[in-house]
Amino acid sequence: MESTPAVDIQGVVKTFGALRALDGVTLSVRRGEIFGLLGPNGSGKTTLIRMLVGLLRPDSGRISVLGRAAGDAGILGRVGYMTQKAALYPDLSVRENVDFFAAVYGARARVADALRVVELSERADSVVATLSGGMQQRLSLACALVHGPELLLLDEPTVGIDPLLRAEFWTHFRRLTAAGTTIVVSSHVMDEAGRADRLGLLRFGRLLAEGTVAELEARAGVDDLEAAFLRLSATPEGAAT
Amino acid sequence: MSMRRTLAIARRILHGVRRDRRTLVLLFVVPVVLLTLMGYLLRGGSTQPAVGVIQQDRGPLGPIVAQRLLASHDVAATSMSADDARADLAAQRIAGYVVLPADFSDRALRERVVAPEVHLEGTQPALSASVLGALGSALASAGTAVSGGAAPTVSPTVTYLHGGPDLDTLDYFGAAFIGLIVFFLVYVLTSIAFLRERQQGTLERLMASPLRRGEIVVGYMIGFGVLALLQSALVLAFSLAVLHIYNAGEVWLIFLLEALLALFAVNLGIFLSTFARTEFQAVQFIPLAIVPQILLSGVLFPVETEPALLQPLSNVLPLTYAVYGMRSAMLAGRGVTDAGILVDLGVGVLFAALAIALAALTLRRAAA
Ligand SMILES: Nc1ncnc2c1ncn2[C@@H]1O[C@H](COP(=O)(O)OP(=O)(O)OP(=O)(O)O)[C@@H](O)[C@H]1O
Ligand SMILES: [Mg+2]
Repeated sequence: MESTPAVDIQGVVKTFGALRALDGVTLSVRRGEIFGLLGPNGSGKTTLIRMLVGLLRPDSGRISVLGRAAGDAGILGRVGYMTQKAALYPDLSVRENVDFFAAVYGARARVADALRVVELSERADSVVATLSGGMQQRLSLACALVHGPELLLLDEPTVGIDPLLRAEFWTHFRRLTAAGTTIVVSSHVMDEAGRADRLGLLRFGRLLAEGTVAELEARAGVDDLEAAFLRLSATPEGAAT
Repeated sequence: MSMRRTLAIARRILHGVRRDRRTLVLLFVVPVVLLTLMGYLLRGGSTQPAVGVIQQDRGPLGPIVAQRLLASHDVAATSMSADDARADLAAQRIAGYVVLPADFSDRALRERVVAPEVHLEGTQPALSASVLGALGSALASAGTAVSGGAAPTVSPTVTYLHGGPDLDTLDYFGAAFIGLIVFFLVYVLTSIAFLRERQQGTLERLMASPLRRGEIVVGYMIGFGVLALLQSALVLAFSLAVLHIYNAGEVWLIFLLEALLALFAVNLGIFLSTFARTEFQAVQFIPLAIVPQILLSGVLFPVETEPALLQPLSNVLPLTYAVYGMRSAMLAGRGVTDAGILVDLGVGVLFAALAIALAALTLRRAAA
């Protein structure tokens, strides 16, 4: 079991009408690592993540998640998904929101822990509609990790989060991976994605390259991730296997 | 199907509504306001019909009933002689008079038959209904006085100077209207709630969780079902206790019919909301999908009087059966063993099940 990758994507194509949102993406995420999906707006990050939880089916190609086909009802309980736009119930309180998702996954005992991680314990009884944007983002993260998933999919989790808390988020992500959790995190910000163990560079639905920051910089022959991204997008034939 | 996950949905819905004052008002105040308005409209408010009471009973019961009638707030009763009463009735000075004959107590005690005579003017069914209603409650008190033995049969002899024993408009519409109110409000509430679930992205979140489609639909059904049942109970209690809508049937049966209609409405709401992108569009479904159902269901125009072309359409609408069932239960006093009621109940169950299946089927489409 441990030897199979947490996520294995093979030649996945997804089109919306004439648009090729994903154009033959192949990559794999190892167990226990933080994998960063880096790409500009519209490059297909969200589309790829939605496929991992079975919300979208590939037109062609294969995706396996935790050793099973993506979207398999049996593994959804072991996956956590934080959507790009916070998906919360605005008329419920902070605690009620986390409690609801916890109940869905059968983990109601961990509500208080999840609230502590995102530093919302003090606001537990506030109605969500009255929270600041960043607080809602934090709550959304709490809802995604309350059941202690093996695989955590985070779609731009730190947008709108202040730098102090962002650093704490990453500390917590590290703590989670140390305990065996695998994390896939998307971002369009270079220095954010640069914190990941390994990166996949997406552009126009194609995977330009996959590897650690050092590997990517070496391949592009530069010493800076941003420059590497630009260099690699200019020469898509330099893409990784 | 996991009960834990299903109930998580239901509980979440109830939590949300509890904090939402406007929805609470829509659920529990609006029906009362609508019913009151309709009651006032159709019964002309609080007219107290004048009633004559002629007490001739030699036994103990007559005076009790007469006393009750004279004290009633539903009618303005006065004691009078038989001759005066006849003259007043002909001159329309009173809406009717009640005679408690000489052998009233005697028959009640010996034959266990409570048989007052009622003479009604009859041109205004609303007034006649009030007189009969007031007499009914007065007799109930006398009934308790006849203790021991089998319960006495109440069989008043009712004669009409004009017209007949037709029920009044509120009785006729009320029976259908209480079903309609629940259907309409529950539909609006669920379709908007479900649409919001999609707009705020939580439906996508749920579809990416171990929740199955059926669990989401049933969870919704329980959550809104609880609210709908509370609303039904309120509407029914208000109609019977405050508006005195005529009811010859069993309350639990009416409640059951109403509950089925509410379940159907919940699922219809989920189903139709998948075709709407915005709340504005969801509201547009009301004239499109709800109003025609109301027009064709026989609430306003009996199905039998519809043009032949429309009747088959009425006969496939669930609301038609609900309206028919409510009327035959409340007005004709049919019980659950009645063939017609069984058909109405069966069709109700069928449509509720169909709507559940449709709602579950459209969910996948809704999330993508
Ligand atoms: N349901 C859909 N229907 C049609 N087109 C879609 C759909 N979902 C995504 N797309 C298109 O697919 C492309 C990739 O979108 P996606 O949301 O995956 O981008 P992204 O990398 O997440 O961008 P961002 O950084 O802005 O979040 C976009 O051009 C988008 O318009
Ligand atoms: Mg995105």
